[in-house]
Amino acid sequence: MAGSSPARRSYNHAPSSPLSDILYGERNSEARHKQLLEAAKREHERVRKVALRALDDHQKALEEHQREEERRHILEQERREEERIRQERELAAERKRLHELQAQKVEIPPEPQPKPEPSKTAASQASTAPSTEPTPAASSNPFARSATSSQTSQQQQAVPPVQNTRSSGLGTQTTTQQHTASPFGQPNPQQNGRATSQATTSATPQVNQALPDRYEAIHANLKNLRRSMMQQAQHNPRLKERMGDMRREIRKCVGQLTHGVAAANRKQLNAISTVLRESLDGQVQSQMVDPSNLVLEPRQPVEGAAHNAELPSLFVYLLNIFAKAAISQFINEASAKPETADPVGVTVAAVFSQVEFLWRDKSLIDILLAKFRVVCPVVFGHFGNEKYEDGRRKLGWHKENGTWVSEQQHFDRMTGLGAGFAAISLRNFSKSTKKNPFPPSNYWTAMARIVNTPPANISNTQAIVLKAMIEHYEGKFLDAYGNAGLAALRLALVDFPVKCPTRTPATESLQVHAQLLKKETGLNLQ
Amino acid sequence: MSTLADRVTLPTAADPADGTSSDVVPSQIPADSTDGVGLIESNFDVEVKLGDLQNDTESPLYSVTSFEQLGLPKEIHDGLLAMNYKKPSKIQEKALPLMLANPPQNMIAQSQSGTGKTGAFVLTVLSRIDLKKPTQPQALVLAPSRELARQIQSVIQSIGQFCTDLIVEAAIPGNVSRETGVKASAVVGTPGTVMDLIRRRQFDVSQLKLLVIDEADNMLDQQGLGDQCVRVKSMLPKDIQILLFSATFPEKVMTYAERFAPNAHQMKLRQQELTVKGISQMYMDCPDENKKYDVLCKLYGLMTIGSSVIFVRTRDSANEIQRRMEADGHKVSALHGAFEGANRDALLDDFRSGRSKVLITTNVLARGIDVSSVSMVINYDIPMKGPGDREPDNETYLHRIGRTGRFGRVGVSISFVYDRKSFDALSQIANHYGIDLIQLSPDDWDVTEKKVKEVIKSSRAKPEYAPSAIKN
Repeated sequence: MAGSSPARRSYNHAPSSPLSDILYGERNSEARHKQLLEAAKREHERVRKVALRALDDHQKALEEHQREEERRHILEQERREEERIRQERELAAERKRLHELQAQKVEIPPEPQPKPEPSKTAASQASTAPSTEPTPAASSNPFARSATSSQTSQQQQAVPPVQNTRSSGLGTQTTTQQHTASPFGQPNPQQNGRATSQATTSATPQVNQALPDRYEAIHANLKNLRRSMMQQAQHNPRLKERMGDMRREIRKCVGQLTHGVAAANRKQLNAISTVLRESLDGQVQSQMVDPSNLVLEPRQPVEGAAHNAELPSLFVYLLNIFAKAAISQFINEASAKPETADPVGVTVAAVFSQVEFLWRDKSLIDILLAKFRVVCPVVFGHFGNEKYEDGRRKLGWHKENGTWVSEQQHFDRMTGLGAGFAAISLRNFSKSTKKNPFPPSNYWTAMARIVNTPPANISNTQAIVLKAMIEHYEGKFLDAYGNAGLAALRLALVDFPVKCPTRTPATESLQVHAQLLKKETGLNLQ
Repeated sequence: MSTLADRVTLPTAADPADGTSSDVVPSQIPADSTDGVGLIESNFDVEVKLGDLQNDTESPLYSVTSFEQLGLPKEIHDGLLAMNYKKPSKIQEKALPLMLANPPQNMIAQSQSGTGKTGAFVLTVLSRIDLKKPTQPQALVLAPSRELARQIQSVIQSIGQFCTDLIVEAAIPGNVSRETGVKASAVVGTPGTVMDLIRRRQFDVSQLKLLVIDEADNMLDQQGLGDQCVRVKSMLPKDIQILLFSATFPEKVMTYAERFAPNAHQMKLRQQELTVKGISQMYMDCPDENKKYDVLCKLYGLMTIGSSVIFVRTRDSANEIQRRMEADGHKVSALHGAFEGANRDALLDDFRSGRSKVLITTNVLARGIDVSSVSMVINYDIPMKGPGDREPDNETYLHRIGRTGRFGRVGVSISFVYDRKSFDALSQIANHYGIDLIQLSPDDWDVTEKKVKEVIKSSRAKPEYAPSAIKN
């Protein structure tokens, strides 16, 4: 740990300047040595005290924060319950109306009630379903805040214990969040059939992995949307004619993105925006849908927002196709060449942040995140054992035709997705007038979740995703987080591989990456 | 190295034992140990089915050992990890112990495209070099084109990035200083240039321990290159270890190869095992030759494509396709015989680095070029050979489609047919290798899109084949 103490500053406090040192005749005498030793001891004591104080401060802050967090959670819970009741009431009214309509149907023969009903049910189920995963905004701030607080104490690198308390503190914090979150599921009357089993499961700490979360609900809603689009196309020739071409245009443009040349992808971004705009302006008619089924947190109308009401289903479908194309590009291209994820991430951020594509003044990026949650759960804090069926499911190990894809393919996928996650979340919007749809705090949270996994639960998948998140993104990460980022990198590349229960090529490659950083950039994390 | 030598006698015998031990499952779920309340979890305690793992063992990419068990030095091991290599592929696992054993013995190795042949011989090169003599040539690799030579050079440098004092030089036209000559421990070159350098005494071959010939069937068969290779070999030390690698070894070349590398270990594939099963092979029925351009542009919306390679017969059509595709928003490199030396390097570097994602080329690049993100290969024209292009060129077809599906990744190949001749040629190739080609039609793109999706899904699930025979 010698290398990590605040050496420069403390030695400058030595009793004499180097010059007088040289002039001083008996600079090697024993008395002189003792004197220096004494000074060093004092300095050491001082640094130690500062460190202890910082540690103490930090712990207090952390406790304070946890209390605050808990209070916030309870409020949040109340709010959600209210929201649920409201939605259920609406649903009941809706149902009633539906029944009436169905009763009338006999008189008006060819008018079957279209799609909104089932997806609405799913949505109301979903929004009342437990949001077991803490929302990015809520959980990311504390990470960032505690990081900066330790940064200002200037002891961050000097006192490793602070680091450790911080990380383990965060770890427990995440679990407490999971605990408090789990009861959400129970009162939901929509899930009556499962009430008992939920009561049991909620006792286990694994609960957040066992129950579907909000992202999974969004994912299911998107599947319904796709089905609805296929049905709509059957009755709507204009839609059928355009939808396929629009879909292929978006996929082609995402595939054309290249990296290494500035502004090389403007043409593709414009083409994607043009297609999306066409779906918004009513040239191609499609049913309207309520996007609240597709966002993580309920939203209220915002004055002056481009869209506050329902949106054309074709637009939402195409956003969904765009998200799918981006993720597929990560899986199929960035898996082999992680650098290629970057232009895709830039384009994702650019499209989702465009004002005309916002809904109630916020981006619809949850559509993409819902997909991400399914293919790469580890960045959302999930873990599992690769040797077990269930563990593989939790880790997002892909199945093809009923069998698990090979280890090599799985690792490739995770490499591409890790790089893709970084490409989306480490975008710098400081020079933009738009709002970053997925700011870097999400990256920090994801990294913290992986790094703070209890050692016994660490898997190769996590190590691979972690490495892919870091490789090529060290610079952007440090730009965003400075010294705190450096400490995080050390945790990820030095401490994390050491605490892994078994050494595998995946965990070793994290250490090798640290070596490589040292060799190529001079950044020494040891 | 003694452990490696031991391995030589029983590389396969180790398989079953390791196979079962590698999936031994701890008797307890890890979650228990930390939280102590994982009661419900035990319901899910189903270990991954053996069937899945056994399926794996058939694959040329599957192996039971790790790089660590192969006994490689730490620097090389770290280099592999830095390049995201996690485990040896079959050919690496099987061939490496044989190639690294002492006394050195020759080897003729065949394995499908994209299964790690280059990695295998590069590891041998790095293991055989004495790094204390950084400027003394000790290993020589010969390749059929300058592009391939440069690629192999960069693989040696990447895997060897943690080896201090490793110097790798490319002996290709215009690359070796006339004043100093070759000053590297590993040399990769094309046969002609290497021969000139040795003759001019600018390449000291006295301490060469290893000669590798990549794409060996091509190198030994072609009149020009074959002669040059034999001449180069005659100038080298008599006791040099010779390794011959290729994805294809037609019968007549094999006898030749056995004479070139006497008493060699051999790893061979049967003809039906040659195609990489992970590559979905399809053909597009184009209404006429002129429609091919439009059809080509449409393909890019059908599936997720990283980079792609389009093989054409003539430079003119290469240029025309480039023009059309650029108008459609693609970034394109067109590389053919009209370009030379540094220009060719720059064009290919653009493609390798991803600044351009479409490569249009004639046959010059059919072999060996490894750009891992290539996910589609298009035979805009079916490869032909012989006088007047009368005969379908089976080997070239195989090498072309082998530019995708690298190391178990998804790959698609689409061959364009538009008349009787092209259709017959493609059918003959399909018969030769026993391939099921799927037909696509440009009439309804919604239908074609769906079909392509299904084909990609199903071709991944087929069992793959491993090199079947090792004989001494």
